[in-house]
Order: sequence, then C-alpha cells, then structure tokens
Amino acid sequence: MFDCANVEMRELLPELAAGALDDATRARVERHVAACAECSSELETLRLVRSAYAATPAVDVRRIAAALPQPVPLPQRAHSGQPVKRWVDWRVAAALTMISVGGLSLAVAHRRSTEAPPRDSTVVASSVDTTRAQPAKPTGAAGPPSGGHDTTRRVNHSARTPSPKAQLAFSGGTDDMDDASIKALLGALDEMDRAPLAPSEEPDPTPVLPVIRTGQR
Amino acid sequence: MTRMAQDHEPNDDSTDLELIARWKAGDERAATSLVARHAPSLARFAISLGQRMDVDEVVQDTFVRAFGSLHSFRADSSLRTWLFTIERRLILDRRRSERRRRDDTSVDDVDAATEFDALDEIVAEEAESRVKKAVDQLSRLQKEVFLLRVNEGLSYKEIAEVVGSTEGAARVHYHNAMRAVKESLYV
Repeated sequence: MFDCANVEMRELLPELAAGALDDATRARVERHVAACAECSSELETLRLVRSAYAATPAVDVRRIAAALPQPVPLPQRAHSGQPVKRWVDWRVAAALTMISVGGLSLAVAHRRSTEAPPRDSTVVASSVDTTRAQPAKPTGAAGPPSGGHDTTRRVNHSARTPSPKAQLAFSGGTDDMDDASIKALLGALDEMDRAPLAPSEEPDPTPVLPVIRTGQR
Repeated sequence: MTRMAQDHEPNDDSTDLELIARWKAGDERAATSLVARHAPSLARFAISLGQRMDVDEVVQDTFVRAFGSLHSFRADSSLRTWLFTIERRLILDRRRSERRRRDDTSVDDVDAATEFDALDEIVAEEAESRVKKAVDQLSRLQKEVFLLRVNEGLSYKEIAEVVGSTEGAARVHYHNAMRAVKESLYV
C-alpha cells in the first residue's frame, strides 16, 4: 500500500472528509481523489474513522455550567491597567533620574566656575554664566552695569594677587589680546610657578571672574 | 480553506474570546455557551483516549479547571486547543492514579485495546468494529494525534500544543497512524 506523492492534496483529505473546505478547494481535491487510488482509499478510511467515533456521549451542559466557578469581576484599573501603571512608574523614575543627574551636573559646573575663577583680567572668560556676565562688554571702558555683583567683582579683582587657580579657568585663545595683556598673563604664569603648593586651599570667598578685554588693540 | 465545522454549534455567534470577556464581566450565560460549544468535542476526545466511564465528569472537571485559571489563558492559542490540553492531562492523571491503585503497570499504552470489550463488538457494526480495533492498536500518542486530526479537525500546530510535541512530530505521528490503520483494514 502506497501513499500519494501529492502531499498538498493528501493533507487536505481530513478537511474534505469533514466537509470543511470551501467550494473551490473542495472541487480541486475531489478531482484529484477521483483520479488517485491512494487518496481515494485514504479518504474512505477517514470517513470510516469519523463514522466510528461520531457518537457523542450525552453531556449535561447546564450541570457543567452550574459547576463552574463564579466570575470575579475585577476593577478595570486593577485588572487591565496594572502593566500600564508599572510602565508609567518606570517612566517617572527615569525622568526623575534624568532630572537629578542633569541638576547635579549643572551644580558641579556652577561650583567649578565659582570656586576656581581665573584671576587674571587678560584671560578670556568662557561662556560660564553668560546670562549674567555679559561677556562681550568691556567693563573697563563702559563701566559696571547697574546692580551687577559679578561685574563688580570683575572690576575689583585687578587689585588682588593672582593665584595659580586663576589660570585654571576656562579660557579661549590669545589672538585678540594686546601686548600688555599677554605680558601680564606671562607674569601671572611666572607667579603661579613660584607659588608654594598649599596642602589644602580653601575656596576663595569672593571669587572674581576675569574681565574680557577684546577689541582694545 | 475553512476549519472543520463544529458538530455542536451554540446559538451564540460570539467568538470564544468575546464569551470569555463576557463571563469575566459577570455574564454566566456566556459560560453556558462556551460549555455547549466545546463539551461534545471534549466528550468524544475523552472516549477516544479510552475514557469509557465518567466521561461527563471528565468534561466537567476540564471546564472547572479551565475556568478556574482563565486568567492564564493566552489568546495566541485557541480555547478549544487549551481545553483539549487540560482534558488530556486530567485523563492521564486519572490513569496514573488508577494504575497506582490497581498496581497495574501496563495501563498507559495497552489498556485502550483491552478496553474494547465484547459489548462494543455486539452493538457496533462490523466496519466500525474493525476501524476501532485498528485505531486502538495505535500507540497512545499516535491515537491522540490521529483522532485529533481526523475527528476534531485540529491542525498539526494545534495538535502539537495539545500533546506537548512539535508540529513536525505531530505530522509524522499522523501519517504513521494512517498507514497503520490502512494496513490493519485493507491488508
């Protein structure tokens, strides 16, 4: 006894026996079965098996349904919304983390800028605190802006002794510095080299930002 | 191609998932519709697995267990497949319990053939008897796969879910079973 080599047709025989094929497929399979002794024999076997096991024992549907556990309706949010809530919790945690990290970074940057300001007036200031410092204005010529503490500190710093920390400030290039400024910078560097290394330096209580002197050649 | 038709169509045209949702919302009639829809197939499957006694009880236990854990039902498989899976485990558990009780070590694969009693031969027609004998000679797994495919119209993928096998293995079991049945009937 051989099996039909047409696997597609053979696989559809159980559906054909059950009458579960659409019209077009059924017609196609029936044409094949009519010409194929193996599939014809197999289809007959399938029908015999279905007939032999067709008898369905009586089942009491109502009794079974009555024995089922009672449904427990859950609150909509507690039942279906739990994954969403968990997702929201994660998003809130991530947002708080980002805010904390960002705020800490800003605080560190701000502390650096206030604890270690460059002392030399010829050093070009960076854009730290650009919202308050108005770095493009030469304060020596135009005078201090009214009410600006930072600017006041800038004016006063020229009388102070430059410290090595002053050279660690964010600085730009020296292209727009005049000869006097460059000389002052070199002098400050020399002083920094001569300065003794303090074991622990307290932050300067009155930090002074450098004054930008541009366009004064 | 369409799925094999259900032998017992319930009056409710809702899908299984819709009925489950309605039952969860407190509609007990939805549960009745689900039982009416699937109980006949489960009863036939129980008998085909050799469950001659207490078929109604097995079907009821299947539904009770299924409804008790509907929260774990995943919609990626059909409810019918899931019910068959539960019923199969229940029947196998029952057999193991009976085997321990009777201290019978050969129930699993042989009892189906031995349970084919004289009464069946008297009542059934000759062709039907021969077919049942042929099917009963299959191994338990072959028989499960074969009858799920022929009688219940499950796909190989669904059969694999029910018997805990692979789609390819289910296909092989089916064709081996078919070959064995044909040889028993016609050779």
